[in-house]
Amino acid sequence: MQRDIVVKWFFHHSPEKVWECLTDPELVNEWFMKNDFLPVVGHKFQFHSRPLPKMGWDGIVYCEVLEIVPYQKLVYTWKGGPRPGVIGLDTILIWTLSTDGDGTRLILEHKGFSGWKNIIASIFMENGWKKGIQRRFGQILDNYVHGTTEHGPLPGDCGH
Amino acid sequence: MARLNTDPFQAIADTNRREILMLLSAKKMSINALADNFNISRPAVSKHIKVLHKTGFVQITEDGRERYCELNPHGFDEVKQWITFFEQFWKQKLQNLENLLDKRATESKN
Repeated sequence: MQRDIVVKWFFHHSPEKVWECLTDPELVNEWFMKNDFLPVVGHKFQFHSRPLPKMGWDGIVYCEVLEIVPYQKLVYTWKGGPRPGVIGLDTILIWTLSTDGDGTRLILEHKGFSGWKNIIASIFMENGWKKGIQRRFGQILDNYVHGTTEHGPLPGDCGH
Repeated sequence: MARLNTDPFQAIADTNRREILMLLSAKKMSINALADNFNISRPAVSKHIKVLHKTGFVQITEDGRERYCELNPHGFDEVKQWITFFEQFWKQKLQNLENLLDKRATESKN
């Protein structure tokens, strides 16, 4: 199934102008969302939007800047959940700009969507679990999820 | 349909519930067969299963007198829903961005 989103767009404006709108917090606020973005790798910031309780989202997006190549590339994490401290959506945003004629081609990639309750909440993320068990369970679940299993049932399968 | 507004982290905070998920990741099992794997009472096991069912981890089907549990085959519905939502969301936002760029270009000409 589809796990990534890719949106392409063309602007009749230079990459410098587009970049400005992607990285100036005031401008970002105008077309996008309230934020405290800074174009600094490692900077942690948030976006604030309308909550979507039905989708388990309180309207806050937690981000961290991962990569900046001025006028070309901007990468940050995009995480959210039903309330602070609980992350259900753990994804990444990649903005890529390139000059095209007298305009700019933008590719926006939104990656990292993972299902199965985020692969059993990232295989338990707890100390009490021995690594071997986690690994084994992860493997089993991975097989289950990709349907190539020898151990686990496929959806609709009655088991053995 | 997976329920989206419940907390999977709370559901897996319990050792017994994790053990149940692990058993179910290997195969579909009846509640009785599951309960045989635990030292706690059958009603207690049922309670844990209920939590896992409510949070969308486990699907329960009835077959005669037995109730069977399996990992929820709709475990990716949530992702599909996010992807559908964000595809629309980004198109709308990028249109906003285009409008803003156009506006700023016009303003700077004047």
